[in-house]
Amino acid sequence: MRPNDRKYTKTHEWVKLSGEDVIVGITDFAVQELCSGNEGDLVYCDLPEPGRSLEVGETFGEIESVKAVADLNAPVAGTVLEINVSIEEHMEILSKDPWNQGWLVKLQPRTKGLDAPELMDAAAYEAMISAEKH
Amino acid sequence: MTPRESWRLLTTWGGEPGWNMALDEALLEGADARPVLRFYTWSPAALSLGYFQRWAELAPLAGTAVLVRRFSGGGAIHHGDELTFAIAAAQQHPLYRGEVRASYERVHALLAHALAGLGVRAELRGAAPARSDRTASGMCFHVSTPIDLVWDGRKGVGSAQRRAHGRVLHHGSIKLGASALEAGVATLREHAPALAPADLAETIARVFEGELGCAFAREEPGAAELEHARRRADFYRSDEFVRRR
Repeated sequence: MRPNDRKYTKTHEWVKLSGEDVIVGITDFAVQELCSGNEGDLVYCDLPEPGRSLEVGETFGEIESVKAVADLNAPVAGTVLEINVSIEEHMEILSKDPWNQGWLVKLQPRTKGLDAPELMDAAAYEAMISAEKH
Repeated sequence: MTPRESWRLLTTWGGEPGWNMALDEALLEGADARPVLRFYTWSPAALSLGYFQRWAELAPLAGTAVLVRRFSGGGAIHHGDELTFAIAAAQQHPLYRGEVRASYERVHALLAHALAGLGVRAELRGAAPARSDRTASGMCFHVSTPIDLVWDGRKGVGSAQRRAHGRVLHHGSIKLGASALEAGVATLREHAPALAPADLAETIARVFEGELGCAFAREEPGAAELEHARRRADFYRSDEFVRRR
């Protein structure tokens, strides 16, 4: 079971409350799709400058594996407060711990809470990826 | 009776390099949601950098060809005597569903089938390095992975993907003839000296129809796609984008 303390998007990002702010990352499923378990296949990650304003669904960065570049999409609207600078030099963090150490950006959200209907809880997300596999 | 899935088949020969990339961007965005297979060539010949590639790595080659940067990853490709293709479809399409690796294996199985019809025994590279591998050239064809397509022990197809907004565009480059920038790679003219890009495209399209059970509508790019390509062509050859890293 994936962590129940956060919400998920259909494009495989997660978002979690952190005090008044939120932190955003990508799921283990997304990492697996990109690198098939070979953490060395993750090559680059471009993250936004702090201060940038993001809309829901907006592309805020990209991640490159040996064979694909994938967009990172904002689960909620807000302003970038901080990025995880250790990711670019240590992409293997995304494979080892996508839920905690592998966070990507911290946002000051435009609205409080994670109640938007397009966000899924862990059970709904797992049902979605189970359907994707078949 | 099983209805055949409708795909678009686009051929654009001799496209300007920035326009070629901008049209692929339109296909990835998918205003027309049908799967699409596009074949194209370049005029003039161009050198395309991978999305994340560092400009300094390729700067010594500036002046050898028109420069563009792709939105897909990987190394640089010299688009001279080759057939280039793009396959755009929803990420949940059976061709792309699941891991990136699996989608490569499906695309490369189709290409290997097509190449077999030309007498070329192409296969996934597997564990052993390719004889065309070189260090530090910055060229896509000089780096191989186990899921790259090789023949005669050398890499023959350059591949890269972009995944965005629930869609995937798979870029591919198949060498017809040799390029001085890509010494030692596999070419098709070694096996089929008179092979033209259009003939190879037709061979691949027939395999797609047979293996995927699709039916191609041979079309021109749509008006909105052409407008997108016209508007965005300059960006793909701009210093801002080509030298972005």
